[in-house]
Amino acid sequence: MIELDVRNVYKSFGGVQALNGVSFKIEGNQLVGLIGPNGAGKTTLTNVLSGILKPTSGEVWFNGERVDKLPPYQIARRGLGRTFQVTRAFRRMTVLENMLVPAMALHPASRKRDFYKKAMEILEFLTIEHMANEYARSLSGGQQKLLELGRLLMLDPDVIILDEPFAGVHPKLMEKIYEYIRIVHEQGKAFILISHDMESIFTLSERLLVLNFGELIADGDPQVVKHDPAVIEAYLGEEEEEEGPVAIPARPVAGPEENDA
Amino acid sequence: MKQKLLPWLLGVGLLVLALAAPLLLQNQQYWLFIATQAYFWAMLAASWALLAGYAGQFSFGHIAFMAIAAYASGIVGRDLGWSPLSGIIFGVLLSGFVGLVIGWLCLRLRRTYLALFTIAFAEIFRLMVNAELDMTGGPMGLYMDPLLNTTSYIPYYYIMLALLLASLGFMYWLANSHFGLFFRSIREDEEAAAAMGVHVVRYKIMAFVVTSMIAGLAGAVDHHFIGFIAPTELIIGRMSLVIAMAVIGGIESLLGAALGAILIHFALEWLQEIPVPAGLMPNLIALAPTLEKFGLGVGDRGLVTNAWRMVGFGILLMLTLRFWRNGLIHPLIERMFRAEARKETVAKRMQAVQTQEQEEVES
Repeated sequence: MIELDVRNVYKSFGGVQALNGVSFKIEGNQLVGLIGPNGAGKTTLTNVLSGILKPTSGEVWFNGERVDKLPPYQIARRGLGRTFQVTRAFRRMTVLENMLVPAMALHPASRKRDFYKKAMEILEFLTIEHMANEYARSLSGGQQKLLELGRLLMLDPDVIILDEPFAGVHPKLMEKIYEYIRIVHEQGKAFILISHDMESIFTLSERLLVLNFGELIADGDPQVVKHDPAVIEAYLGEEEEEEGPVAIPARPVAGPEENDA
Repeated sequence: MKQKLLPWLLGVGLLVLALAAPLLLQNQQYWLFIATQAYFWAMLAASWALLAGYAGQFSFGHIAFMAIAAYASGIVGRDLGWSPLSGIIFGVLLSGFVGLVIGWLCLRLRRTYLALFTIAFAEIFRLMVNAELDMTGGPMGLYMDPLLNTTSYIPYYYIMLALLLASLGFMYWLANSHFGLFFRSIREDEEAAAAMGVHVVRYKIMAFVVTSMIAGLAGAVDHHFIGFIAPTELIIGRMSLVIAMAVIGGIESLLGAALGAILIHFALEWLQEIPVPAGLMPNLIALAPTLEKFGLGVGDRGLVTNAWRMVGFGILLMLTLRFWRNGLIHPLIERMFRAEARKETVAKRMQAVQTQEQEEVES
């Protein structure tokens, strides 16, 4: 049984409190949406979960093991995989080589050709198999996103964090990513889906987390969360924005999130 | 099949030429010596290409690692009476160890910072060797025992050729195994590599250790052949030469870097005095005063280029960096070997486009 337990996580960058006591627990193959305004701490949370950042305090437990002190590669090998907000394919490696990196990292004793078949099957599903021997940089932006998703499948994680998978993606490609999420989810994987695309979030998520100024202000059924006054005020109710020459947020927006990208 | 025959023939031809060179150059010890040195440079350039081109660690410390092994071997030979062979082994291990330390220190440094750090390391090492007298001989240099009891260059030629081929073979295997895959993923994006489960620290340090040991091996053996090493060999200009050779050959190609080094070393030697047909020599001699104003000279056989060959070479390096980022030799190798593969991908791509168009028409 998949279990990701985030316990009272704080993370500060100098004076900026990016995460302010975040706690939640994912059990089983839940498909969890994570939303919040810019600077709410979504990417910081992702970076803490994947080990790139260490929490200032608090703990992260994954499948019965404390992981918040582990280096990123250990967390990845234990089955917590992620994509990045800005696509980070290995650009000067072929698409197939991109796919082999996680497979070989998990099974260094195997040979590369043992994974060719699996890699090609995944690429075929993602409709980029004809690019297998091309450098990743010659893929379009959308195709690079697909490649990142494919790479994740080679790592075969239990929990997959997708950071803005729909940003700047063509509607047709979006359907492909929907399909990917649904199929992989049916195979028993848990997802944390970060997106500003409300339609996707409400279509896909079974549960919705809302972050605001580093705090979890809502957690529950998306249809219920949708009508939560705090959420509407912080994020969804943009039409109620106060009028003025410049829209200045009530509190300064935390910066580090953008810097990580 | 026909297309694959040519590169193989070329490869075998080059190998036969390299093996037969001592017979062809029997009366020209000088060129045999140059060829041996060319292999030394080829080992440095190829191992640097593995470190910088594959693993993305743009280090300026390579010449220092070469010299660490050479000095270590020379010193244990002189002071402790070690044989050159055991000295070389000791030197190579020491280079590997220092590579480990430097690699570890550089873990958090990227690109510019790594380059600056390794320049500092190499310069400090050179200044230390230069200032210290008892152990290293300071600016006077260190005399080293000959590896073999012979005055002939031929055995050394074959030793350096064998070491070059062996280290190329080893690095080629490394680059094509999962190590190479991890090296390149680290070069492309460390954070993403770690997120894919790659133990970034281990493979970065490994890249430093392996390439430092190969540089050390080349340095120790070659200086037991030359019989002498001095701090002037550690100047940054020599490091730049290694980088230039690898860049012009093809920084992401071990063979390209090695061939680049060999060609450039020969070219630089040959360009010292560009031969001029005997009939034209009087004209050249008449021009001598004008030429001297430009820093050129007239020798017995032709035009003496002095420092100008390095200028020309520098311009070539700049042009390569600007226009041929993959180097000059690597693309040729690519073209010969990958022509078939490329055709295949293009065909597949066309097919994909066609099916897509078909689907669109149908829908």
